[in-house]
Amino acid sequence: MNKPLKTNGVGARTPLIDGVEKVRGAAKYTADLAIDGAYVGRILRSPYSHAEIINVDTSRAEALEGVIAVVTGKDSPIPYGIVPIAQNEYPMAQEKVRYRGEPIAAVAAVDAATAEAALELIELTVRELPGYYTARESRAPDAVQIHENKPGNLERDVHNSFGDVEDGFRQSDLVVEDEFHCEEVTHAHMEPHAAIAEYHPERDHLTFHSVTQVPYYVHLMLAQCMQMPQSRIRVIKPFVGGGFGARTETLNFELICGILARAARGRVRMVLTREETFLTHRGRPAADVRLKLGLSKTGKIMAVKAEMDQYGGAYGGYGIVTILYAGALLNALYDIPAVHYDGYRVYTNTPPCGAMRGHGTVDIRHAFDTILNRMARELGLDPLEVRRINLMQTPTETPNGLMVTSYGLPEALDWVEKASGWKERYGKLPKGRGLGIGCSHFVSGAAKPVQWTGQPDAVVNLKLDFDGGITILTGAAEIGQGSSTIVAQVVAEVLGLDYSRLRVIASDSAITPRDMGSYSSRVTYMVGNATLHAAEKLKARLIRAAATALETEPENIECCGETYRVIDSQDKGIPFDKVVQTALIDHGAITERGTFTVPKEFQGGKHRGGAVGSTMGFSYAAQVVEVVVDEDTGEITVEKVWVAHDCGYALNPLSVEGQVQGAIWMGMGQAMMEATRFHKGLPLHANFIDYSFPTMMDSPDIEVFIVESMDPNGPFGAKEASEGGLAGFLPALAEAVSDAIGVEINDMPITPDKVLDALTRKRRQAQRKRVSA
Amino acid sequence: MNTGMNFELNAPASIAEVVEQLANKTGARVFSGGTDLVPNLRRRIGTPPVLVSTDGVAEMKSVDLQGDHLVIGAAMPLAQLLESDKLAGFPALLQAIAEVAGPGLREAATIGGNLCQDTRCLFYNQSHWWRKSNGFCLKLDGDTCHVAPNGEHCFAAYCGDVAPALLVLGAEVRIAAQGKDRWVSLNSIYEDDGRSHLLLKPGELLVSIRIPLKAAQWRSGYLKSRLRKSVDFPLAGVAVALRLDNRGISHLRIAVTGTNSRPLLFEDFSVVPLSITDDLALSAIDREIGQSIKPMRTTNLPGLYRRKMVAVLGRRLIEGLTAPTGKNGV
Repeated sequence: MNKPLKTNGVGARTPLIDGVEKVRGAAKYTADLAIDGAYVGRILRSPYSHAEIINVDTSRAEALEGVIAVVTGKDSPIPYGIVPIAQNEYPMAQEKVRYRGEPIAAVAAVDAATAEAALELIELTVRELPGYYTARESRAPDAVQIHENKPGNLERDVHNSFGDVEDGFRQSDLVVEDEFHCEEVTHAHMEPHAAIAEYHPERDHLTFHSVTQVPYYVHLMLAQCMQMPQSRIRVIKPFVGGGFGARTETLNFELICGILARAARGRVRMVLTREETFLTHRGRPAADVRLKLGLSKTGKIMAVKAEMDQYGGAYGGYGIVTILYAGALLNALYDIPAVHYDGYRVYTNTPPCGAMRGHGTVDIRHAFDTILNRMARELGLDPLEVRRINLMQTPTETPNGLMVTSYGLPEALDWVEKASGWKERYGKLPKGRGLGIGCSHFVSGAAKPVQWTGQPDAVVNLKLDFDGGITILTGAAEIGQGSSTIVAQVVAEVLGLDYSRLRVIASDSAITPRDMGSYSSRVTYMVGNATLHAAEKLKARLIRAAATALETEPENIECCGETYRVIDSQDKGIPFDKVVQTALIDHGAITERGTFTVPKEFQGGKHRGGAVGSTMGFSYAAQVVEVVVDEDTGEITVEKVWVAHDCGYALNPLSVEGQVQGAIWMGMGQAMMEATRFHKGLPLHANFIDYSFPTMMDSPDIEVFIVESMDPNGPFGAKEASEGGLAGFLPALAEAVSDAIGVEINDMPITPDKVLDALTRKRRQAQRKRVSA
Repeated sequence: MNTGMNFELNAPASIAEVVEQLANKTGARVFSGGTDLVPNLRRRIGTPPVLVSTDGVAEMKSVDLQGDHLVIGAAMPLAQLLESDKLAGFPALLQAIAEVAGPGLREAATIGGNLCQDTRCLFYNQSHWWRKSNGFCLKLDGDTCHVAPNGEHCFAAYCGDVAPALLVLGAEVRIAAQGKDRWVSLNSIYEDDGRSHLLLKPGELLVSIRIPLKAAQWRSGYLKSRLRKSVDFPLAGVAVALRLDNRGISHLRIAVTGTNSRPLLFEDFSVVPLSITDDLALSAIDREIGQSIKPMRTTNLPGLYRRKMVAVLGRRLIEGLTAPTGKNGV
């Protein structure tokens, strides 16, 4: 689209406002903070997958010179967790350990060597129990229960049916059912976990720095687990090197660090190794998906039935939400009259899984869109055209109660079709080269937060004082995704000011208003709207001040950024500083507060768990992937990705493109190489050599087209930009491989050995056919 | 420092001082780049009290023509070797160096360090906590191999890229120790045992590598199988050097890495000389190599796949090197 190039405010392609510090290495991450007098914190982790704890003897560790404090489960008897109704995890294990790597005790010592030596002196006595590493093992009838109150080792089973599914299949001309397995993947954020807790014994206060995406949850959970009043805790989030969902939940090491600092009556610094970061996990669970789809001969989707097992790991965490998301977001992408979903969130003796980019939606979307592609081929239809046939008429409410008010998928399909030369090239490329398509979507913030308080979803304060500078105070956690830049752009847009007048202070509980944090792509939508509200209030106040100074009525005043003047007058007007001075008379420093609350009608269906998946605005993405497959080595090279993403309105096109490319990249990792894998519960790939994710050398050219559907409720029409594009990559890749070499591969990741195995199967089938013919 | 590592790091200026320290400081180990050693030390794979760096030894950081050999100092960083025009006659070597890890690591990693790198296994390159939780393994502190639990052999794989290239080029290495200094074939310093794949004795230092200049008359190349196009160790790597005459291939050497505990050199094939279109003879070569390699589940793709790749890469190299334009490798 040819819009005038803006340099300021919303719509401008502007670099992130905190980018310079990062590029120059000046940005301070948690592990970089001043550590004068800090003790080194280290965690003793379970060597057992599943065991009853009989005794933890710390006496020898406590006696070691240089050890300041040793804490165990006895010092952390209060459970915590992200979902208030499902808190079953403790900072350190109580009567049982449930995965290898689970914290049992922790030591604060004068240096790392002493802390590590002390860990070796802690003696564990346990009674081992059988370990289960797959959903099948955990769900076996004779399996020992991992949690006392969870029979069958089920955290939650979900059974939802909307519309008449069986009738839908009867009406279908083609029904296909297939099984898919997606391996567990993890976020692989660049910065390993770290926290610094400073306990002030004289005042019984705690100052806490951590790598979190949601400082507010950390604050709540520290207070809960340490049984401290929230008012005595201050949580600050420094620069953070990535989150992708891993740091939405409060994590055990954060709570241990706080507990340890209080026990040591001082400052404790805890920097986890990469292996420990893998052990803390909370990534996307391994999943078995069985999916059945019915189509009419014209390609209309008649019904879908899906069953999913997620291998959730040892604790509840986000599990209930993840298993609900998978079913809920079968809806709201295509028009589907009948949807049945059975989801099982299963406990396993592995590190707990949780939220990861595209939360809950990715594996089941792979199954759905892959089957859709194959059925289109079988019916002799174009897979892209089949998606057009199944577009929703919007605005609409889906059968499961999700509101769709803006829908850029039609335009996204148009663009990828044209840009990739789909019509001329799909199914017609030389052997070894192929194209595939996939679509996906995601929420712009969960409409209903997991912690209900009755407070607004977002609050932003703008402080304006004698200096004429505006300080934007937000609790939104900048984790590299650009949230601080977005709020600055919104304020600059409304007030017509340059960034030089603005500064953003984010995520310090002593200074910034509470925010629900950076998860489910909520910040641009919710915090953006709250910022817009605050900026408009500040502008109205400044206009009133200018009216006073110019001796007229506010409705006669025009705000031109650095000047305010009487509308249509020849008057030069008065400068911003003069307006500010007038506004401060008799009042002093101004704080304008903006809020945003998601209205109830957007909070999903009335059925149990119906709030999960609900949002005010869904993003939509379509993508075409082009691959070259080497039939001798099985290697897949992704040569090009065309992706069109409907983000409502691009507040910062540069940032949107980066986020969409990041989502494609992450989808590419899951589709081609990533898998955590365990040996009897021990992570085989807990490092960045063996846990393969794409390098720059593996990255294709990713061409991003921004679709602007102008969401009626988003700030300036904006919706989310970073998650919706991920899931579509998996089925698009599988289809491209099929187009290239004629093999169908269901399981993720599609590594070269699987390609060769599939080719061997295909040759054998062809041979058998020849023989039987 | 956030690690429990504790060692003395010395950087003497001469070979004599390095070998003197290696001989006289108990438990001392050579530090030459550290990109293999340090990650292992952080995992408490070894706790040497002293590391003796080769970084200060000027004699080990040069590339020189000496008589009818090209002599490469063992402490030469790989990135610098890529920029040296003296290696132009040995495409397999340049290609192999360019395939090692990624650009950042090649700045620090040295050619000697690459040749002497430890063998690798998913059950070995893990933290102390991990290995202890798993009951340790045959390679270090334990008595079971988790890759082949009934055997008594350690299958940890040698994963250096550079060794196979040097092997097909007929390279020799200079080994120094107190009072000793000798040239031996590179092939003779390895053994197919994951626990002790290097036959260098305590106190011995790999000082330099020499390649006969006449090796430049061979066509050579290196190809590597890997999941990602950067960073990864080889799932399997193959180097080929050959000479052609008017009937076909008159001389052939093939070396394989990533599949066994040592790099394997194959030469003196009974089917050589052979015509380049003789598929039967090429299959016989595949079979001969196939009988010797033993890729196990030591890394993240299965042994069977890596076995297949050895044959595929070998064929590709031979095809490329025998093509009319194959003089400078593939």
